[in-house]
Amino acid sequence: MASEGASRRATGLTRRGYQWVRERSLPIAALVAGSVLLVVFYFPVAVVFLEGVVVDGLPSLAPLRGVLTDPFYVGVLADLFSRPTAVGDHLDSLFRWAATGFSRPSLGLIGFTGYQALLSTVASVAIGLPGAYILARYEFRGRRLLRSLTILPFVLPGIMVAIGFFAMFSTNGPLNALLGVFGVGPVEMLFTLEIIVLAHAFYNAPLVARLATAAWEGVDARTIETARSLGASRRRAFFDVLAPQLAPAVLAGAVLTFVFTFRTFPIVLALGGLEMATIEVWIFSRIQQLDLTTAAALAIVETVISIGVLALYLRFESRQYGAGQAPTQIDREPLLPSLRALFRPSRVAISVYGVFVAVLFIGPMASMIAESLTGPNGLTLSHYAFLFDRQSGGTAFQIKPWPAVRNSLLFAGATLVIALPTGIVVAVRRVRGDRGGVLLDVLATAPLAVSGIVLGIGLLRGLVFGLPLPGGWRLQVTGGVAVVAAHAAATYPFVVRNVAPAVGGVDLSLVESARALGASRVRAMVDVELPLAVAGIVAGAAFAVAISIGEFNSTVILAEGGDYYTMPVAVERYLGDRTLGPATAMGTVLLAVTSASFVVIDRVGGGRGDRL
Amino acid sequence: MKRRTYIAGIGGTVGTGLAGCLSRDGSTDDPEETDDETTLTVATYESFLDGPSTSPGEWVKTEFEAEHPDVTIEWKTPENGLNHYIQRFEEGIEFDADIYLGVNVDDLIRADDRLEDSLFQDLDRDAVGNAERLRSDLDFDPQGRVLPYDTGYISLVYDENEVSSPETFDQLTQDEFSGTLLAQNAQQSDPGQAFLLWTISEFGEEGYLDYWQELQDNDVRILGSWWDTYSAYLEAERPMVVSYSTDQVFANRDGNDMSRHQIGFLEDQGYANPEAMGVLAGTSDQQSDVAHDFFDFLLTPEAQGRIATLNVQFPAIEGAELDDEYDQFALEPPETVFFDYEELQGNLEGWVEEWARQIAG
Repeated sequence: MASEGASRRATGLTRRGYQWVRERSLPIAALVAGSVLLVVFYFPVAVVFLEGVVVDGLPSLAPLRGVLTDPFYVGVLADLFSRPTAVGDHLDSLFRWAATGFSRPSLGLIGFTGYQALLSTVASVAIGLPGAYILARYEFRGRRLLRSLTILPFVLPGIMVAIGFFAMFSTNGPLNALLGVFGVGPVEMLFTLEIIVLAHAFYNAPLVARLATAAWEGVDARTIETARSLGASRRRAFFDVLAPQLAPAVLAGAVLTFVFTFRTFPIVLALGGLEMATIEVWIFSRIQQLDLTTAAALAIVETVISIGVLALYLRFESRQYGAGQAPTQIDREPLLPSLRALFRPSRVAISVYGVFVAVLFIGPMASMIAESLTGPNGLTLSHYAFLFDRQSGGTAFQIKPWPAVRNSLLFAGATLVIALPTGIVVAVRRVRGDRGGVLLDVLATAPLAVSGIVLGIGLLRGLVFGLPLPGGWRLQVTGGVAVVAAHAAATYPFVVRNVAPAVGGVDLSLVESARALGASRVRAMVDVELPLAVAGIVAGAAFAVAISIGEFNSTVILAEGGDYYTMPVAVERYLGDRTLGPATAMGTVLLAVTSASFVVIDRVGGGRGDRL
Repeated sequence: MKRRTYIAGIGGTVGTGLAGCLSRDGSTDDPEETDDETTLTVATYESFLDGPSTSPGEWVKTEFEAEHPDVTIEWKTPENGLNHYIQRFEEGIEFDADIYLGVNVDDLIRADDRLEDSLFQDLDRDAVGNAERLRSDLDFDPQGRVLPYDTGYISLVYDENEVSSPETFDQLTQDEFSGTLLAQNAQQSDPGQAFLLWTISEFGEEGYLDYWQELQDNDVRILGSWWDTYSAYLEAERPMVVSYSTDQVFANRDGNDMSRHQIGFLEDQGYANPEAMGVLAGTSDQQSDVAHDFFDFLLTPEAQGRIATLNVQFPAIEGAELDDEYDQFALEPPETVFFDYEELQGNLEGWVEEWARQIAG
């Protein structure tokens, strides 16, 4: 290693310093991750949550009780919460409910939020898994590019997805034109629960696919060969040998999807309507009214439910790691060995799936790009000319495209530098079952469960306004570094989820041999575990970049309207007048820049994600 | 930065290397601030400065600075609009701005409800000579702390190839207009809230929820933001949307098909949405004097005409110098509907919340 040469030349003092850092790199990384989370997540959220449990300076359960006893929020459960001791009455209504044949009970705003999140989770897993299967099991041209680009939807601002969906699925849109060719339709899809679920799948099925692909690639082929040689059918080998190895990743994807879509906003209102409002919509409206008490109470209930789901999963997950086989990869089958193969049932099924994926994923994005090239008189480049004009002629207080691109890339790079190494350490410690690692993982996963709107207002009140200190001083945390820290905090759950299964699949005996031969814990991690887990690390890096580039809420608040604006901010800003052109042109730039970054990450990962 | 001591680059906050920054309120004056040179910091909404086609910010800054060579205009666009300053005021933190441009009547009510002291300083209207020209129906602050500078009118925008001209509220609940209208969530959108208030003005506090029930039965779609609805309208998913009566100005500039940008004034009315400006609390006397000059400038017939054209809103004074394009394509309703401050105070939040619960419930 180059660093060894450097340390040999170094003086005794710096060498000792170097050793000190090496020996303590695990605790240091843990400290960095912990501090980042504390400053840009736990502190700001606590600032807001306190409003929900402290009224006039005294602890109070009144705001929470207000939410839990309001039928609008919790439906039929309101009575249960308002009179928890009236057991007889509740049993009575339970019997009456049974007598009416278990009619679908109203569970209020919160019940509906959970319902649509559940549907979205099922859809995302159902759509994501076949994709993972194809990416992991078949070889074809463009497979690696496709795999790199799977998480592209993650970075798209909500309004761009809405515009893409409006264009693609409207009554007069391309999908209905296509269906018309086959004599079907037109299908009215917009403003339904179905389209919301599909839009959530648009964001989250790629997440499921990406996590499952990495797990599939980490499956030890020998376990399947052994099972088959012992007489297990393909089916049997799948359910008894393969499925248990994939389960942690699939479950991770499902839980992340549920928690994400449980706090969905603003896509539900854009594509569905206020009839399909979720908890987050009400939190937003309460914050707009500066009614922090109700907003906080709603957000606490929301978070408790999400944490409950996450906790169930984290318990399950901790039993899954460290199976410990040396990976021998499953060989990929060529997707199209010959033209005749096209008619095999498996290939027909794959084609049908391919068309579906093209409509759901490529359709909206292509529609958005098409919108950026369309004017009143047909094809035009005028919207891109606008971007150039704004770049060259915009005033100092206007948002320009290039600084937005540059800032997005700088933030993403810095996020990667902070979140990837520290996230890997958390993952390794967590997989090896050390208590600190489990605790850190839990702490790093919790941000998923908290309302983005609440975090935003907490960042404003906690960090931008600053912490009051004695003597009239205030401690503020804002600007570029704060933005990067916020991005890193949002990234940890994904880095850890991607890296952990990969590290978990590494044969522990290899690590133990290395340590028996005198390697330090860090050494064993860097030289043995990590190279074996490259696929997961590359995926984690791609997620870190995607989340950083796509982040909007925390960025605009911490940037304080300064010079730190990013690409999604520019997209929103260019949605000014009555045309979709300028914003979709900037959205296309966002897609192009992000795609390029993913491809670069994959190449820097040496493509070793494929062949270990 | 203004009127504060900053010890930047303290770094190492809580041992994380985050760039922390210590500041103390009111300890020194801005070093740039001398008797001859004044910086006036104006907080406003983004599209006032940065619309893709036109926005007034640049013209206003250039012209005012040309007339007042010793003054520099600096813009701020706080992410949460006026709420940013309401919260700062509540926490006792000094402002980074002297005046706010873009106060709606509901903003002012919220500020007054939340805060014990006024967020805005009293104005010396005599020092703003052009305030005489203001249309009195738009001048919504009973205490006179803020001055309107423009107004929009909420109306329907419709595609005449798909629907006939909507004339009355009752029509919207008939079969003919079934599944045609797009409206916005009044909890988050200005035109959405204005349209809701318009129905309250038409049907009264007792009747508006029943009317909305009929609208729902007739398949109205209430999406989130104005952009959600307008982009759905542009994709022709529905032929009618709650929007602004200046729609044809944009359609003309973009060369769009006018038949898809027809304006419908229900009951020959439009709901007014005036925007006002005021001097924020804590602004020094020197800055406040400049602010009065600035307001006077914004209310001149020339500036009113330019702002109307560039911001695509109607002037707040009589006799603004409007250009032909604006005259031709910006349509004014025969009659204006507007709830003033007193009518909304104490009612607005409840009206909106009950409505939203009915729709979402």
